[in-house]
Amino acid sequence: MKQKNPNRRILLLFLLVLPCLVFAQATLTGKVNSDKGDTVPFANVIQKGTSNGTTTDIDGNFSIDVPSLPAILVFSSLGYVTIEQNVASSSRISVTMAESAEALEEVVITGLATSIKRSNSANAVASISAEELVGTTPPSTLDGAFYGKFAGAVVSANSGAPGGGLSVKLRGATSLQGNTQPLYIIDGVYVDNSSIASGLNTVSGAAGQGSTSNQDNPTNRIADINPEDIANIEILKGASAAAIYGSRAAAGVIIITTKRGKAGETSFKFSQSTGWAEATNLLGLRDYTRQRVEDTFGPGAAVAYSAAVENGTLVDYEKEIFGEHGVISNTNFSMSGGDAKTKFFAGVSHNNEAGIVLNTGYEKTSLRLNLDHKPTDWVKFSLSSNYIYSSSDRGFFNNDNSGTTIGIALTATRPWDQLLANSNGIYPDHPNNSSNPLQTRDMVRNNETVNRIIMGGSMNLDLYKAENSNLELILRGGLDMFGQNTRAIFPKGLQFEKLSNGGQNGVSAQGDTQNKNYNLSAFLVHNYSTANDLKFRTQLGLTNEYFDQNIVLVTATGLVASETNTDQATNIGVDQTRVKQEDSGFFAQEEVNYDDTVIATFGVRGDKSSNNGDANKLSYYPKGSLAVNFNKFWNSDSKWDEFKLRAAYGEAGNFPPAGALFTSYNSFSTDGILGISLIGIRGDGNLKSERQKELEFGTDLGFFDGRLNFSGTYYIKTVDDLILRAALEPSSGFTSKFVNGGSLENRGIELSLNTEIVQSENFSWNLGVNWFKNKSKITKLDVDPFNIGAFGATLGTFRIEEGKSATQIVGIGPDPGENGFQVWGDAEPDFQMGLTNDIKYKNWDLTFLWQWKKGGDNVNLTALLTDLNGTSHDYDTIDLDPSGELGNGPYRVSQLGSSAELFVEDASYIRLREAGLYYTVSKKVLSGVIGGHIDSIKIGASGTNLFSFFDYNSYDPEVSNFGGQTIFTGVEVTPFPSSKRYLFHFAVNF
Amino acid sequence: MKKYIYKILFFTSVIATLVSCNVEEFSDLNSPEVDAFAENITRGDLQDLIGGVLYSSRVSLGTYLDDCGVIGREYWRFSSSDPRFTSDLLGGANSVLDNNTFYLTLPWAARYRTVKNANLILGFLEGQDVSSQFTAQEVNATKGFLKTFMASELLFNLNLVDEGGIRLDVADENNLGPFVSKTEALAGIQAMLVEAGSDLSNGGGAFPFIITSGFSGFDTPSTFLKANKALSARVAMYQGNASETLSFLTQSFFTLSGTDLNTGIYHNFSADANDLLNPMFFNIEGLTTAGARIVQPLFVPDAETGDTRLEKVVQLDAPITLDGLTNDYAVYRYQSNTEAIPIIRNEELILLYAEANITVNPGDAINALNIIRNSAGLGAYGGPTDTASLVNEMLNQRRYSLYAEGHRWIDMRRYNKLGELPIDRPEDDVFSSFPVPLTEGQ
Repeated sequence: MKQKNPNRRILLLFLLVLPCLVFAQATLTGKVNSDKGDTVPFANVIQKGTSNGTTTDIDGNFSIDVPSLPAILVFSSLGYVTIEQNVASSSRISVTMAESAEALEEVVITGLATSIKRSNSANAVASISAEELVGTTPPSTLDGAFYGKFAGAVVSANSGAPGGGLSVKLRGATSLQGNTQPLYIIDGVYVDNSSIASGLNTVSGAAGQGSTSNQDNPTNRIADINPEDIANIEILKGASAAAIYGSRAAAGVIIITTKRGKAGETSFKFSQSTGWAEATNLLGLRDYTRQRVEDTFGPGAAVAYSAAVENGTLVDYEKEIFGEHGVISNTNFSMSGGDAKTKFFAGVSHNNEAGIVLNTGYEKTSLRLNLDHKPTDWVKFSLSSNYIYSSSDRGFFNNDNSGTTIGIALTATRPWDQLLANSNGIYPDHPNNSSNPLQTRDMVRNNETVNRIIMGGSMNLDLYKAENSNLELILRGGLDMFGQNTRAIFPKGLQFEKLSNGGQNGVSAQGDTQNKNYNLSAFLVHNYSTANDLKFRTQLGLTNEYFDQNIVLVTATGLVASETNTDQATNIGVDQTRVKQEDSGFFAQEEVNYDDTVIATFGVRGDKSSNNGDANKLSYYPKGSLAVNFNKFWNSDSKWDEFKLRAAYGEAGNFPPAGALFTSYNSFSTDGILGISLIGIRGDGNLKSERQKELEFGTDLGFFDGRLNFSGTYYIKTVDDLILRAALEPSSGFTSKFVNGGSLENRGIELSLNTEIVQSENFSWNLGVNWFKNKSKITKLDVDPFNIGAFGATLGTFRIEEGKSATQIVGIGPDPGENGFQVWGDAEPDFQMGLTNDIKYKNWDLTFLWQWKKGGDNVNLTALLTDLNGTSHDYDTIDLDPSGELGNGPYRVSQLGSSAELFVEDASYIRLREAGLYYTVSKKVLSGVIGGHIDSIKIGASGTNLFSFFDYNSYDPEVSNFGGQTIFTGVEVTPFPSSKRYLFHFAVNF
Repeated sequence: MKKYIYKILFFTSVIATLVSCNVEEFSDLNSPEVDAFAENITRGDLQDLIGGVLYSSRVSLGTYLDDCGVIGREYWRFSSSDPRFTSDLLGGANSVLDNNTFYLTLPWAARYRTVKNANLILGFLEGQDVSSQFTAQEVNATKGFLKTFMASELLFNLNLVDEGGIRLDVADENNLGPFVSKTEALAGIQAMLVEAGSDLSNGGGAFPFIITSGFSGFDTPSTFLKANKALSARVAMYQGNASETLSFLTQSFFTLSGTDLNTGIYHNFSADANDLLNPMFFNIEGLTTAGARIVQPLFVPDAETGDTRLEKVVQLDAPITLDGLTNDYAVYRYQSNTEAIPIIRNEELILLYAEANITVNPGDAINALNIIRNSAGLGAYGGPTDTASLVNEMLNQRRYSLYAEGHRWIDMRRYNKLGELPIDRPEDDVFSSFPVPLTEGQ
């Protein structure tokens, strides 16, 4: 063969060799396993220093082409330590990734769009994990799970009625007239937490005598959120952490993140809890004797008493009403899974709880679907959606001026009164009161039904990405929409509704609330790092929030036949209340991080709101913080894992209450003639928002490989431009006006300690302690000192005075100060403490939480009301009268009008708040069951409030007749008693 | 890729548009603002504003009447949910009248609120040209009507605090007039009534608004003037001016007739949801300590045999007891929760006529007292006719004729006879007046 064309040969050779030179690539395959033996799906596998990469499949296998060997592969996945592996040959690679504390290290939120490692945070941000939230025992409502779990929050139930009604107050007194409840944000959605009155006042007349506050005790709407859906909660307690939320953040922000899907095999979880609730503490009967009955109630009653004793017909009506065991059932089912692009979490739960009073109860169904979709590697979409149906029957309790609520009726009820229904179900009229509590219990309905949709969506877009900088755009929108129907039905057959008894012949109060909040925001986040470990993160954002609530309450009296429709009535009244608000703002924040050693953040938020006197004026809320991790300076084998000093400062606002900007008439009628009259409150169009300034500093310490952690924080939180309803001379025609008229200061300490006392293969014991106290003080008051809240000085009332605690309780007394009042107490606790224990032995897990509230006083009027009727349980006990002559009942009555001392009571308590014991059946044991498809089964028992210790003369020191919207709570008037819960659990993962 | 980018740009622009918008400013979404009327008041507005005066003049009226009735030992007010009716008002044990508790603050503020409602209307009428809406006579009539109400309301508050005095000039809420003594206050109230009378005299034939049925017969400027003069007569008697009392009576609707006792002006009540019910009514059936007015035990035995005015109380099946107080009679002054409550009526005018004549013409006094006695089924007065005896007889007739209408306490105080009121528990006290409310800053 002639070599005619040598060039061709060269070309051929070139073609053969070229791939080896230019595309000299090797295909590497392998598998990624975790250190626990599971496969790691969708882990990132990237050739170091390039953008060449892939992900592992669902079984952890990967295949990647590299141009040449040796190559360095970087394996990373959320929750695992990132590792680098040097690959020299193309043989199959086996990689083991360790789950590590470093990778799992908690992050806390600092900006609206970003988070920071907890170890770099300059704020004491509390957080609650799903395990802490529901792991010991499932709470009835979300906020009911906050008790004792972190420092700085005073959580208090207003009533024991099923369906919640709690107040959460962070770091002391935030406001006197404005909002004191934190802002709740769930997956970026501003969530409404209002308490909407159901119109019971028409019957109870509670607001008749000097107290206009709502005493209906409705549920607060955060109760709708299903605790089982929650992955994590972060609590920004004050302005230093929450300044970026601006004008709504003064009372703190609670940021809730719900569970999201994880790539991998679909996992299912089913759990069922069943149990009961029973009264925590009943007071019992007075120790009656014939002589005592005769002395108190006269000879007629003594005869009735003796007859009842003889016939054995004495009835303990307290037990009759509060003695029920309310059955509880919680059912949850969830599944989660997905692939590299799309992940989902779906859950459904149904709760059904009966109260300790017949015909009360709470039912809730919640559906959730959370989706994440990542069509390409530079954009990500997330959707959270939640539908909730809830219905609560809350009974008819608390204060009244008509003797109609069950609680007030009980105070006048004696065990020989015949109140039981006859064989036809007809109740006799109460001989000693305007209502028969058994009849009220069986015939009155007080229901709240809610249908609610909460949806949030976000898009994260990598606009630009390079080795040392990137720019991300985040768009977020949220919607919270609910319709609430309240139905309070008082049929005409009730003793107090009968026309012949002067009743209104039936009352039907039906409310309809439509609430729509939406919020939109856009953020730009820029990260930039320099070669010398200096990182910069810049955020810019725009936010817009819109709130619209429309409440229509129709109250019909004089019902036709047994109709409850409001048009089937003689007299119909309608109340409509609209609340609209639009806020708009921007924020900017810069974060500088030097090698995780020195971290500084500063930023500002600007807000305008229709709720300010001047709607389009921007209010600015700055923040700044510094954290220094001193341990980074030391050598790595030190016993100190963490030694951080931190300081943070921030400002936040609090809007004037609705209507405070206007002086308006209300409309009324007089025998058919309409009229408009003042109602005594003067508004002010120039009212400013309250401004909170908070400075906190503290330290975080860690020792012994993280087995001992301590965190201590001291804060000074001041509120300027306090909005007050200053008393006006009533001869002006107004009794009060809204003014910016003072400042208050809170100083507090929060300490927490977490230790792993024992950590071995079969046995572990974790102990957590938190302790905190807060002291508030009115530092400036431009108006005259005034009394506020409760029922006046005779019975104990709050008083705002310069230099005094914001929650001091004063009253008349034998030794009054210059102002004519004697200080009898303070609603603020001396301190609170939580103690958590988690003990694991093999498959057993025991957790329990003790909570101790030391100090803090209530105004307790329940005892007095029973005294006046001669029915108090301690009526004849002699331990109050210093002269040892009078029984407690007569003694308390004798003090009425001369001293309020006895009505102000210490509301300290120690409680076993939560306890749970679980046994987990492991996968190994279950391998033979249903083909080994079951991952684990957990069974157990738990309880809430199992033990309570207090020296307080009523059902429970945790109570509030006026709900939880203000700081002037802790007033008790014959409430719905609190309950303890016992639950049995079964949960299976498959 | 492109389609994503377009969508993203679209969403970005939507959000940017929303944020850059100005925030909407809302007015009061739920009720009419006061300032709105200062610039423009129409006939329809005036009707609503007058309606507000009619409404607010009844707010806490029951509390005022209970204050007078309980301290005047006409009856006890039982409320199992508010102990202060039986502790503070009766001066039980160490209790005293508090200067910042509902029994004082509510009625006091409510009366001044009516005064403010009225003053605001007067301001609206004077602060703008209303000639296109109202004739000058209509404006006069309205002023006369409002000033009469204001004077009547101020008198109620003066009755509560007595020597403590009240503020008369409260038109400017930012610059309130001083507290004036009782004497000055009574003179000021009388002057206000007289001024109202002259406005009404120049008020033409009709009010530019309608009023409730409680004013029927007194619903034109000229007839309402007669009610105005009746109030003047009461004030004059409180001033101790007998001749002026008699002169005002002749200009009022006073008739010396035992069959015409109830002619007068009244507050109306209804079961309408935005209205008030008669606060003085408790149904007798099913009456309990939860809410009751129990007659002071001497009221029935003190009455002369056959006094038909005892129909104002009823005997219960069993006594009711609260806080150491027991009796089996309940107040039954009103028979339903929509019955009207008198502001002033002829029976009081006859008694004022008698009272004024005790010093001027005792014969006329006895005659007037006998008209009252006869109407109650009693024979003519046969007791001594000296001044002291006639005063006692007059006070006794007022006790039964005006029972539970808020007079007894004030009458006994006028004659320094509070010490003669019965005490029901050993440590009880009869207070002569309420303190001036704390928040007045006096």
